[in-house]
Amino acid sequence: MKWPKLFKKHIYDREEISLSIYRKRWQKFKTMKRGYYSFVILITLYIISFFLPFLINNRALVVKYEDQLYFPVIQGFIQGNTFGQDVPGETNYRLLKQTWDETDSPNWLIMPPYPYSPYEDITVEGNKMFDPPNSEHWLGTDNTGRDVFARLCYAFNISISFALLLTVLNYIIGILIGGSMGYFGGKFDLFFQRIIEIWSSMPILYVIIILVSIMKPSFLLLIGIYTIVNWISMTYLMRAEFYREKAKDYVAAALSMGQSDFKVMFKHILPNSLVPVITYFPFAVVMGILALVGLDYLGFGMPPPTPSWGQMLDVGLSNITKWWMVFAPVTAQFLTLLCIVFIGEGVREAFDPKVYSRLR
Amino acid sequence: MIQYFIRRILLMIPTFLGSTLLIFVILQLTPGGPLEQTIQRLQMGGMSHGEISGATGDMMTGGSSILPESALKELNRFYGFDKPIWQRYLIWLGVWPREIHHRDLTFEPDETTLNKYVGYGTYLNLERNESGLRITNESGAVPSDWKSRIDKIRDDGTVEAVIFQTEFSGILTGNLGTSYTYAQPVTEVMAPRFKISIFYGLSGLILMYLICIPLGIKKALNHGTPFDFVSSVIVFVGYSIPGWALGGVLLVLFGGGSFWDIFPLGGFRSPMEIWETLSWWQKILDQLHHAILPIIAWTIGSFATMTTLMKNSLLENLSQDYIRTAFAKGLSEKRVVWVHAMRNSLIPIAARIGQNIGVIISGSYFIERVFNIDGFGKMGYQAILDRDYPITLGFLVIVVLIRLIGNILSDLALATVDPRIRFK
Repeated sequence: MKWPKLFKKHIYDREEISLSIYRKRWQKFKTMKRGYYSFVILITLYIISFFLPFLINNRALVVKYEDQLYFPVIQGFIQGNTFGQDVPGETNYRLLKQTWDETDSPNWLIMPPYPYSPYEDITVEGNKMFDPPNSEHWLGTDNTGRDVFARLCYAFNISISFALLLTVLNYIIGILIGGSMGYFGGKFDLFFQRIIEIWSSMPILYVIIILVSIMKPSFLLLIGIYTIVNWISMTYLMRAEFYREKAKDYVAAALSMGQSDFKVMFKHILPNSLVPVITYFPFAVVMGILALVGLDYLGFGMPPPTPSWGQMLDVGLSNITKWWMVFAPVTAQFLTLLCIVFIGEGVREAFDPKVYSRLR
Repeated sequence: MIQYFIRRILLMIPTFLGSTLLIFVILQLTPGGPLEQTIQRLQMGGMSHGEISGATGDMMTGGSSILPESALKELNRFYGFDKPIWQRYLIWLGVWPREIHHRDLTFEPDETTLNKYVGYGTYLNLERNESGLRITNESGAVPSDWKSRIDKIRDDGTVEAVIFQTEFSGILTGNLGTSYTYAQPVTEVMAPRFKISIFYGLSGLILMYLICIPLGIKKALNHGTPFDFVSSVIVFVGYSIPGWALGGVLLVLFGGGSFWDIFPLGGFRSPMEIWETLSWWQKILDQLHHAILPIIAWTIGSFATMTTLMKNSLLENLSQDYIRTAFAKGLSEKRVVWVHAMRNSLIPIAARIGQNIGVIISGSYFIERVFNIDGFGKMGYQAILDRDYPITLGFLVIVVLIRLIGNILSDLALATVDPRIRFK
């Protein structure tokens, strides 16, 4: 049965009208080609980066040895003599594969596509210090013989995760405190205003370095420290938003209908003050990544041997002839941040359209 | 207007006190401070001489068992840890008397008077009574400059006391203390390094304005042309690479590693031996030769933001009604752009000046580390590593002050450029 054309058009029109504001913004964002493709690429790479142990690792994916299957990537440490390999400690799977291939052994193993781990060092056979880029080590090796490409990829995941988590935490605190400041006003507002004034006069990174130098942080502690120091910018933004929205009629209407403060704040005002929050998000992530790279470079970031771009830069800049140690992390960081800046540009255009708000 | 700025300057005081108090408390309350480090170092020294064996490296408990109590007391006093924290802060500010020239005394249980040489050919007589100590000098008068305190009365009746002089000296009197590592007054350590950083910071700032404003204007006037597109590439590089990382790349390229050997690897200028043999114009050349790469790194810091700010601000103004009116009245394009639109477009640029000063000072430890310049930022960074609290605090005081003054400068610049603004 065929629908009459007119009726179909009618449905179509209705759908067009009922598109929510966020759907419209998403559609608008999709038309910003540069931002949209950056978004797709970055998200894909970030999701892939969670499966890095299966792609870039010195442990074999599958080992078939004497009619038994082993999965070293999942199982973890397996001693060398399990497979009849005469090495102390863990199996050297690359060597094992080579031996088995040469001797036409009935045993076999499958290595990940890029068979080097970000943690192995010169004690592992075949690794050299400061090996320039070659067909085996695509981006060379670092001062302890670790593969730069492998570390680069793992660092990508850590950097983005760090920045995302940091930004989300900052946002939660910012929305809670800033929202309350703007909504309730009064002494609460004044008190936090003074605190914000004091915090914002301090050099944030320097204070972080002081705290980090005392605490020797882990991933989460570093995020905690950074949040403690960095919550003000978002708080200030949210305060202004809530302050402005509070004066509007719909808030008065909601209150007169007996809505609780909590509901008014988070159900009514918050959705209306999300635009600056969302447009600011990509740039907050950029700042988070830059901060991590900077801290790692100064030696106050992630504890070693965590793969990190900043730590690579540190090694590269103290060994100036090892150019790949500088170019690799800077390029990786540059491309990542470029993608995020493009996304930011697109998001801003979609959410806060002004005639001339392009970033270039 | 003047009233507004006076009030702003007065409001700086509580903010300044608040932030210094916060930093002071963080530094003083955290473990692993200079006191613990010195104790540990002394213990290590003692162990390496073989005097004490079997001691553990545990800081406080091990410390008291190895170091004599008097030495511990001396250290505590040297680092000021013998006072409660609020007193330490007030002393550091310079509004609470600082105790100097300590002389320790011990009264035996039955002893009530002591004669103590306090230097400069002066002897003091001390008399112990129920209420405390009475100090008299040789002529029997009570000296005004010496004070005393009973530290401790031991179980056997021995009394430990201390006499000292006091003075008011702290950051408010310009005394930032003495550096633990350099053994020099902090101000003396800072001054030459601050000059170096200011040299780079100001050159970078001026260069940035000299490049960003014309570039932003040109991009706005040629919006959408190939020139706009090509220069946008540079802007995006500026967004995505921090200045110090770009500095590192430049260093690898031009510092004589694997590529070109054009610029020196770092340092503020040539080593002193070479520097002194140079004639004055060679000195200028040498200085420039060393400065080019760091200044590029400094300039790139706010380059992208400032250029786009200039461009967007001019574009936005050009789309306003008053510009259309000006054109309609038959003014030349030059006049409309350069006189009418420009003045309004510079307002956001002027408002950023204070922020940029702050960025240049606080971002300097990265660049100074990359280029191995012995500047202000590197000093502050090194001070944290060495637990040199007087320098760390001094560094923070200067940075906070610069930021606060920078904010006021921003407002001042804003008021100068935009006559519509009336601060109240």
